[in-house]
Amino acid sequence: MNNILGILNLESSSVHVEGIDNYRPVSAASFLGRYRVLDFMISNMTNSKINNIHLYIKNRPRSTVEHVTGTSYNINSKKGRIRILNGERNFSSDVYNTDVANFLANMQFVEEATEPYVVIAPSHFVFVQNFNDLVKYHADNGADITVMYQSINNAKESFIMCDTLELGEGKQVTGFEQNRGKFKNRDVSLECYCMSKALFMSLVEKASAISSLYWLSDIIADSVDDLKIIGYQHRGYAACINSLKAYYDANLELRDHNVLKNLISNEWPIYTKTNDTCPTLYKEGAAVSGSLVGNGCIIEGTVINSVIGRNVVIKKGAVVKDSVILPSSLINKDAVIENTVVDRYAIVTHIKEIKGTKDKPLYVKRRDRI
Amino acid sequence: MKQKKMVAMILAGGRGTRLYDLTKKVAKPAVHFGGKYRIIDFPLSNCANSNVSTVGVLVQYESVLLNSYIARDYVWGLDVPNGGVFCLPPREKDESGLGLYRGTADAITQNLDFLDLQETEYVLILSGDHIYKMNYDKMLESHIEKGADATIAVLEVPLSEASRFGIMNCDENDNIIEFEEKPKEPKSNLASMGIYIFTYKTLRKYLREDEKNNASSHDFGKDIIPAYLKDGLKLSAYRFKGYWKDVGTINSLWETNMDLIKGRASLDLSDPDWKIYTGDNNSVPQQIGPNAKINTAYITQGCLVDGEVTRSVLFTGSVVEEGAQVIDTVVMNDAHIGKGAVLKRCLVMDGVNVPDGMELDPGDSKDVLLVTKAVVSKKAGK
Repeated sequence: MNNILGILNLESSSVHVEGIDNYRPVSAASFLGRYRVLDFMISNMTNSKINNIHLYIKNRPRSTVEHVTGTSYNINSKKGRIRILNGERNFSSDVYNTDVANFLANMQFVEEATEPYVVIAPSHFVFVQNFNDLVKYHADNGADITVMYQSINNAKESFIMCDTLELGEGKQVTGFEQNRGKFKNRDVSLECYCMSKALFMSLVEKASAISSLYWLSDIIADSVDDLKIIGYQHRGYAACINSLKAYYDANLELRDHNVLKNLISNEWPIYTKTNDTCPTLYKEGAAVSGSLVGNGCIIEGTVINSVIGRNVVIKKGAVVKDSVILPSSLINKDAVIENTVVDRYAIVTHIKEIKGTKDKPLYVKRRDRI
Repeated sequence: MKQKKMVAMILAGGRGTRLYDLTKKVAKPAVHFGGKYRIIDFPLSNCANSNVSTVGVLVQYESVLLNSYIARDYVWGLDVPNGGVFCLPPREKDESGLGLYRGTADAITQNLDFLDLQETEYVLILSGDHIYKMNYDKMLESHIEKGADATIAVLEVPLSEASRFGIMNCDENDNIIEFEEKPKEPKSNLASMGIYIFTYKTLRKYLREDEKNNASSHDFGKDIIPAYLKDGLKLSAYRFKGYWKDVGTINSLWETNMDLIKGRASLDLSDPDWKIYTGDNNSVPQQIGPNAKINTAYITQGCLVDGEVTRSVLFTGSVVEEGAQVIDTVVMNDAHIGKGAVLKRCLVMDGVNVPDGMELDPGDSKDVLLVTKAVVSKKAGK
């Protein structure tokens, strides 16, 4: 029996993926043409043989519920359980809808859990990790809390607004800060924590007693002097999808086969709900290069360095460059799209060009007709 | 109130010798098809889409892979109460001991106890090696409406090709009056598709009789249907319109795959109301590299393309390296086409590694070239 209760946390309040999150939490957004962002963290848990998974959603649950239910993940359909939880009460303002308030409302399910350890992981981060390694490291080091982090050298452009760690001797965490893009080298928190179930419960209680606006990360930051909090270094690909730019960048950088193979391998598969879509048809005149393409597309136009979601139609003469096209969109004849994120079911017809920039990609709304 | 119940039985035990190495270790119904599918996905998906939720699969030849594939009945949504996919291999019996399936009819006879257990009213007999989309529920409606004892799905074929098929000669109401297997001078162009609906009670009786008949070859076409006709039972032809192909040879398997690049006009698998379901293998989306040139192709997830692909179909996990040219070719699962290799009119078998620079084509032959590991080693002079 596995000794970990897995908790997939809400995205923190600083997360805002312009446009995309009007329709679903970022974690349920389409990613790389076939996945949803949260597939990575759920697969990490099921691949780590975690049987008891709590998945928190703030609001707009439809996409998440539809996606997660079924037999897509490698978890036993009786013994295993992915339980979808929310605050279950009307928060007078969204600022009160914190992870702590959500945990508190569902504490019964934590109490009932027989697993001694809790791993809290963010559902809007993309990385792969065996959580058993994290728990072993945590136990071997006699830590109260272990925080996963990544050492990065491009902190001026990536992981903006994410927590960073100050690390002392023996990887002891001595403080938390926020990455405001001022420095190149940072140890950024992957917002993934390991602790005992008992400590988790008491921290949640304590946080809610201090302030009803407190998040779990706040109470952990408060505890650096009282508890043994250590860092666990993650290696390999990691991304935090906390803005439209971050979403765009992560999609585009994973087009590179050498980057992608660092994230997804046969040894650690990423599961997702299959749509039973047929393969993609490239018609005469199609010109596609440097791209990731989902199934079910019909491509007659030009696609360069882009991510094309499932069931996308790209007509003759259309040019899609450095863009992310979400599933079931239609790019009509001769339309030119550059540096743009096109949401699901959008139809681009009566416009010659849509061009954003690499630093500020444009966003085309879900079901929009332009 | 009583629900009408029909159980499907898929004949999936044949060796498929005309597919040569493709069926050396794998039963024909488990052979890959159309990028991401296996042949048996077609009858299984048709069952699921027609609300036929109990499916027996009669396996015999090299069935390890097939058995484990069909065990995952949730793939086709058939994991429902009172339904499921049941693997039915030959077994040791109390009375007769261990015996193989002696023919298509015998395979059903040996599983009459399974059908009894299902308390079924109708039995749908299907073949595990045809590519088509068909609503069996409509066929059952016709069977009931016409009060038939058996209904046989037929396809109108050009008269010039009719001598390759089992031909049904019918009266003006599409009642079958005569059945001719591969007639030299066909009287009609209605070819049997090997899809039958039988009213179970009557079929049960005829199968029991056939079992005792030592002169019988225990075959539906050769023995059971003629016996029905001889006794004046009502056999009805059900006309099917649409795409249907038997993929029994390397050429027909290649051709049927090639029909996929013709789009909606030919074999179209994109209808959201009639999806063909298949076991998902969690592969990444298609990776189309910076040097890729793709002109008319059918490509699925897990493929990695950096070369030139023209009028071809690539199956899951196949790789076309930079500078390679793949023309009029079907590349099956996980096959690897090395840098600068040139393939024309080939069918590359699963897992075959075509080395850099190798050129393969069938030459003057009208047949396509089946590229196996042996073909590659021979060409490399090893």
